[in-house]
Amino acid sequence: MVASLTAACALGAAMLGGIYVATDRYQKAASLRTERQAITQLLALEAGATIEEIELFLDAERSQVVYAAHAFGTGDGEGERLTFSLDGQLVAREGPGVHDAGGTVGAGARRGLIPLGKVYVARVGGRLAGFVGESTTRGYKNRIRYMVALTPAFEIAGVRVVEHEEDPGLGAEVATRAFEGQFIARSAEATASLDVTRDPMPEDWRAALAQLTRTPVDEWRAAHADLIAREGARPIYAVTGATISSRALTDGVRTTVERFRRRWELLEAARGGAPVSARAEPDHGGPQ
Amino acid sequence: MSAVLERPQAPPPRQLILNGIFAENPVFRLALSLCPAVAVTTTVMNGLILGVAVLLVQVLSSATVSLAHALIHPRVRIPVYTIIIAVWVSAIDMLLAAFVPALYAQVGLYVKLIVAFAIIISRLEVFASRYPLIPSLWDAFGMGLGFLLALVVIGAMRELLGNGSLLGVVLAPRKPLLFFALPAGGFFSIALLMGFFNWVERRMAGGKGAAPRRAAAGGGHA
Repeated sequence: MVASLTAACALGAAMLGGIYVATDRYQKAASLRTERQAITQLLALEAGATIEEIELFLDAERSQVVYAAHAFGTGDGEGERLTFSLDGQLVAREGPGVHDAGGTVGAGARRGLIPLGKVYVARVGGRLAGFVGESTTRGYKNRIRYMVALTPAFEIAGVRVVEHEEDPGLGAEVATRAFEGQFIARSAEATASLDVTRDPMPEDWRAALAQLTRTPVDEWRAAHADLIAREGARPIYAVTGATISSRALTDGVRTTVERFRRRWELLEAARGGAPVSARAEPDHGGPQ
Repeated sequence: MSAVLERPQAPPPRQLILNGIFAENPVFRLALSLCPAVAVTTTVMNGLILGVAVLLVQVLSSATVSLAHALIHPRVRIPVYTIIIAVWVSAIDMLLAAFVPALYAQVGLYVKLIVAFAIIISRLEVFASRYPLIPSLWDAFGMGLGFLLALVVIGAMRELLGNGSLLGVVLAPRKPLLFFALPAGGFFSIALLMGFFNWVERRMAGGKGAAPRRAAAGGGHA
């Protein structure tokens, strides 16, 4: 009796272990591919674009904020790491160009750090092409995970809900291209005071947004420029019967854009504007 | 227990498959695994994907149990069946995540739940542990197919009425009856379809002048 149960467990465990080892790298590659595709689509990037990933951590023990930057799809041990105090002073800078032996950089240095979010910075031929920030907000039922794409001038290039558990037919409508499309082309200043309304959506705007499922964003923007300009001055129209989900996403997008702008200023000042790989000599200048 | 019992004669494959689809349809007849049948079936696609996953798990688990039942001590058979199902479900889960990430993103949450589906373990206990490999495979295939078809039919009804579309193709400009896309609508859909199946069966039985079939009391199975 014990033997057959033990044997069943052992066999099952061995089999699952084997499958895990065999499929793990495919799974990682697949999720990286999906993410890269979403970023490329949102920013309408060309094929040769490079994407840098900046992870943000809070070191609660030392009251510091850590930015770990590395090329897309690589571990954070291979990149640069900037540490700021909470009032925005650069405390430490580590990375391949600065710190040879690895030292505190690497997986081991992640211990005790609370992840705060992630930002992807896209460059085409060394020039900034845009940012994509990933974050979560509290929806009606569970967290809504979303991406916000910004142009270098911090105008919203697109919003995409990546993961959610809202009700189909109600809250789930915020994850449609038509709802996400309402955010497109809003400037950072406009986004900072972005609100949600329960007024009915004008029919012409609804018809225009419905076309987003089949039209590429840049064509869509060109075709509906005057409508977008008119609606850009108005709040986001909530999904009927799902004001909470609509407000959740709008609030999330607003905070993400605001926070990202402040963080980017800090980072830019500290890094001198050049990407990690392109900078030959590290400068130890303070921020601001 | 099963080692002592003489193995009964298995019905022919055709009857086993039809049994799973009609006479003992897991959802409409046995009323097993209704929770996932309500949760996933907001669209045809979701129903289809989960149905295929259940079909695979059912066939693989039935085959395993049918082959290995002599080695399983009768007193621990239920935990062992659970382990067998869990292994196959986890294996399929990992393979889906690795090779069809787009699909997995949609149904990943539900695939893991297949471990707890009553229909699978009930077929292992009722059928696979008592019959040889080949009939067990047919039975598992029939049951899995019955579940798949049920999910697709429920999904079609809910997607059509609740969302005005079918397989993602928009057919109606507005949502005709949003209610059907919500969880409560799922129960109503199942009830309506179950009633419809009963009606069809009674008509068929009446037409042939046959006595009510054994499975007419299908719900009693669980």
